[in-house]
Amino acid sequence: MYYIIKSARLGEVGTEYEPKPGINVEALLWGGFIAEVNDQQPEEVSTPAPKKGAKNKKATKED
Amino acid sequence: MATSTYLSNPVVTVNAVDLTDQCTAAVFTQRYDQLENTTFGKTARTFQSGLGNHEVTLSLYNSYAAAETFATLENVVGGLVTVIVKPAVGADGPTNPGFTLTGALLSELPVVNATMGELSTIDVTFVGGVYTADVTP
Repeated sequence: MYYIIKSARLGEVGTEYEPKPGINVEALLWGGFIAEVNDQQPEEVSTPAPKKGAKNKKATKED
Repeated sequence: MATSTYLSNPVVTVNAVDLTDQCTAAVFTQRYDQLENTTFGKTARTFQSGLGNHEVTLSLYNSYAAAETFATLENVVGGLVTVIVKPAVGADGPTNPGFTLTGALLSELPVVNATMGELSTIDVTFVGGVYTADVTP
């Protein structure tokens, strides 16, 4: 995880921001001066394909 | 000639955010508690310095727009923050010290200071913290 600059008041927009000691990072995030970037790869999510006609079968039972 | 004229050169940052273009006045005071150590036999009071008790007061235009004064200070009030005031733009140095207060408390923030027909301004004071004057380029 790292931060990127979102406001020119803090530095060059789009570049990485490395907070120095004594800097209130939460306040910078709240004010929209920086944004948190999660550099971890998102895990693959396997979504099972819905069975064909499953909904119709259920509907048939209720009927 | 020992004079300093401030036009538009000073640089002011609060929590690393550059508020120079919102600031109209800055007073940075380096101060130490004065502890009296006068004793019998002295003919005048004498003192020695105690703890540092520094403060910075900034006069700022108040703006609620994104990344402006309010956005900078709203989540800082009640907490500790670093404030830097430099006499001029450019690198720190002996002729342009970066006066820094690290871990200063902003105990109050005027969220509204409205007068009909005038630009809104606020005065904020940061107290305490460690004082340094960075002269390293």
